Amino acid sequence: METNGGRPTPEQAQSALAEAEQIQASAAALSATPWPNWFFAALTLYIAALPIAYGGVMADEDWLLPGPSWTGIMMAITALHLGLFALAAKTWREKTGVALRLDVLPKRATVPLAIGLPSILVGSAFVFRFTGSPVWLFAASLIGAAASVGFHLAFVRLHRASA
Amino acid sequence: MSPEAHDMPAGFDATIHAPNRLRICALLDTAGEAEFGLVQKQLRLSASVLSKHATVLMDAGYVEQRKAVRDTRQRVWLRLTRAGRDAYQGHLAALRAIVEPADPAAS
Repeated sequence: METNGGRPTPEQAQSALAEAEQIQASAAALSATPWPNWFFAALTLYIAALPIAYGGVMADEDWLLPGPSWTGIMMAITALHLGLFALAAKTWREKTGVALRLDVLPKRATVPLAIGLPSILVGSAFVFRFTGSPVWLFAASLIGAAASVGFHLAFVRLHRASA
Repeated sequence: MSPEAHDMPAGFDATIHAPNRLRICALLDTAGEAEFGLVQKQLRLSASVLSKHATVLMDAGYVEQRKAVRDTRQRVWLRLTRAGRDAYQGHLAALRAIVEPADPAAS
């Protein structure tokens, strides 16, 4: 790649580009390192529990538990989740040595999820409030858990493919 | 300005083009921020060589460092600045222009 101060030849430029691409691929593999299993499990449980707790908060009348208890549960699991996220992010960064990036997966997968999943999780509680049927909450819980598992597997595949 | 400098495509950056500095920029551009030891390991560079090139990039305003303590030891994290990211992308575009020159008939 040495150019001695002059214009690089097309071969030298091609070689420099190829080397940069190779390094970018190995860095991308590091950025795609999946979360530790304990946090993946915690995240999946949180996503599965959220629509049910929110449904309890939103219910017209007490459903299974008094409304304030559901509010307490929701706040407690959210605080616990945020604490675990901070811990997992710290250990992930220390293990990989790179910054945590949320733009590793393709946008065609992340954008629909970023819009769709909160809509399903929150929307199911509203539907439950109007219909009184908890099936919507359990369906949202299952969809959320499936999305969490799917994304974890996507990271595992991406990490293996680019490593 | 040397005759060669006139001949360089727009965006070509001699500071970045040095092989190890191009590799450092490639890694930091993708990783966002990387720990010094990780950069060393990924690029198979000695600490002194990496330190030398990182200093050149920092002096040019292309890289910034952040110090963090882990397990009682101080770790250095490197990241590209906005100027560094722009310069790196411009340099890649210049290299691509050298590999595939624009068709003069098209302009």
